[in-house]
Amino acid sequence: MQENLSIERSKEGQAAQTVRIKPKWHMVALHIVYYLIMVAFILFYMLPFWGAVMTSFKTNDSVMSTTPVTPPTEWTLDGYAKALDELGVPLLNSLAVTLFGAAGSVFLGSICAYALSKWKFKLNNVFFIALVAATYLPFQAILIPLLRTIKDLDLYDNIWGLVLVHSVFGMPMCTTMMRGYYADVPDALIRQAMVDGNGMWQIYRKIVLPNTKIATITVFVFQCTSIWNEMLFALVLGGFDSKPATIALNELAGTMAAEFNVQMAGSLILALPMLIIYIFMGKYLISGQMSGAVTAS
Amino acid sequence: MASITIKDMSVSYNKGKSYVLDKLNLEIKDGEFCVFLGPSGCGKSTAMHCIAGLLEPIDGQIHFGEDMMTEIVNGKKKTFVPPQERNIAMVFQEYALYPNMTVRKNMSFALETKKAPKEEIAKRVDYMAKMLSIDHLLDRRPAELSGGQRQRVALGRALVRDPQVFLLDEPLGNLDAKLRDQVRYELKKIQTQLGITTIYVTHDQTEAMTMADHIVLLKDGHIMQQGTPNDLYDHPSNEFVAGFLGTPQINMFDCQVVEEKGGLMLDAGSFCLPAPAELVECLRPYVGKNVHLGIRPSDMEMRPDGAIKAHVDSIEPLGDAYLIYVRIGEKVVVFKYAGETAPEETELCLAPNVSKLHLFDPATEERINA
Repeated sequence: MQENLSIERSKEGQAAQTVRIKPKWHMVALHIVYYLIMVAFILFYMLPFWGAVMTSFKTNDSVMSTTPVTPPTEWTLDGYAKALDELGVPLLNSLAVTLFGAAGSVFLGSICAYALSKWKFKLNNVFFIALVAATYLPFQAILIPLLRTIKDLDLYDNIWGLVLVHSVFGMPMCTTMMRGYYADVPDALIRQAMVDGNGMWQIYRKIVLPNTKIATITVFVFQCTSIWNEMLFALVLGGFDSKPATIALNELAGTMAAEFNVQMAGSLILALPMLIIYIFMGKYLISGQMSGAVTAS
Repeated sequence: MASITIKDMSVSYNKGKSYVLDKLNLEIKDGEFCVFLGPSGCGKSTAMHCIAGLLEPIDGQIHFGEDMMTEIVNGKKKTFVPPQERNIAMVFQEYALYPNMTVRKNMSFALETKKAPKEEIAKRVDYMAKMLSIDHLLDRRPAELSGGQRQRVALGRALVRDPQVFLLDEPLGNLDAKLRDQVRYELKKIQTQLGITTIYVTHDQTEAMTMADHIVLLKDGHIMQQGTPNDLYDHPSNEFVAGFLGTPQINMFDCQVVEEKGGLMLDAGSFCLPAPAELVECLRPYVGKNVHLGIRPSDMEMRPDGAIKAHVDSIEPLGDAYLIYVRIGEKVVVFKYAGETAPEETELCLAPNVSKLHLFDPATEERINA
């Protein structure tokens, strides 16, 4: 009797496991529409990229005789070789300006954000509002005085001039972003660190920074992207010897109008570092966006 | 180790429109275990933060022994030693463990900041971890600990140091009842051993009564009474203190003082008690007027000749005693009965312990009897 019972139960259990709710037809239709829209968007966004990749591997003759999206009949790396030849030094300039500029702006922004979010002083909010206002400042409006200042500092046509400008102009945005992250570090931690004998700077170094690593990485990557792709300061302050890759790429288009394969190869080379950063840092960026939702304790 | 003196300390968050602490004066002796007790919002944590230097009062002075820590006159800062230079150890209610550090690192952090020798740090951390039963957790991070374990780490972190003053802000608030009793006992033992002046903030009167050498009971930024636990329990200086200390709460009756046959009687309407001889003098000015009579639940007993007739409402067994809720007239009061079995009768006669009556002026709520 007991065996019978257990068999019946197990049958019921199996039945329960295999029961699936049949989706209604209009839900299925809705899902099909969703997927179609998504595929259309993917095609829309990927088509230019596809065209660029295909063109970059073509010979110059093949570029003229085929559409951009057609795969090359004869694959070649000539375009990349030529582009690298033209972009080599500017790419190194871009790399230096981006790394030092992003590091500078994140460092300055981080200190400002720490002071504004964790220390109460007179006009605290006024400083913050001034910083936020600075992020909306149109760069074109200050370009001429900026150029004169950089020339006076003897930093024109010098990558350190660009590093300085990016560090300073990136700082308000970094401050705004990091202030939000630092506000989530519990005040009790700061108070505890004070009681443990630490001053303002030690607390920043030993408590705040280590507990907001993801926020720092997020803001650093954000700054890297904007500095890497930046053109206006590069064009006005970069000069000839320290011109970054964005300017060199533009010149590539201007001087070799017909060589689309070289231009596309150059564009892809320029896009590659940021693409790699986003692929490898993607998980940090997502958790960085989420880190404001929970406390550090 | 140091005594703490607070003189005329006032704290306001809105530039003097209202006060969180109003002219607080306090003397805590060297090595004393002082408990700041009071309901939420009474200013006890604020007072502690001022002592720690985490908050600036708008007026007043704080001394550690002979050393002036804070001196503010009419909002102007004359002396203010920052918290990191006060040599204090503090435990916050919200643990405040550094999430990026292991338990060992959390406990040694303050000593490392002070540049203590490494062997000394390791020795102290190991000793304290063993004492608080967290020695198996030393390599974990705070996120991997339970609430109780975090609390013990926070306590351990304060105890490994050798500060002038311990400041503990509701440190047992998040522990379960069993662990709380255990840590309470350990904490008191360690404090007695080390002899470090300790200030402990709590709203739990049991913690205050069991641990304190000196209780400071606060309400709305004012000290209602301070003294030893027994002082406050046996001689509450006002109705608030009488009501705040003691579980269950003291029973209060509104009584009229009447003169009968040369003696004085306390007439509560539903019962009438002859005023004990030692209270006659202080009750004399109240003849014909009302007073509030307080009787603690443990100071009433069942007696056949008891003057108070009561009807049993409900009985709560405590294991070693019973709490009996009775109705006296319209009023429900409670008394503690230490018998082995609960009384079966529904109508009882109760007699208060006349040497433990508490009388208060209804207008001022201040104590009348000595």
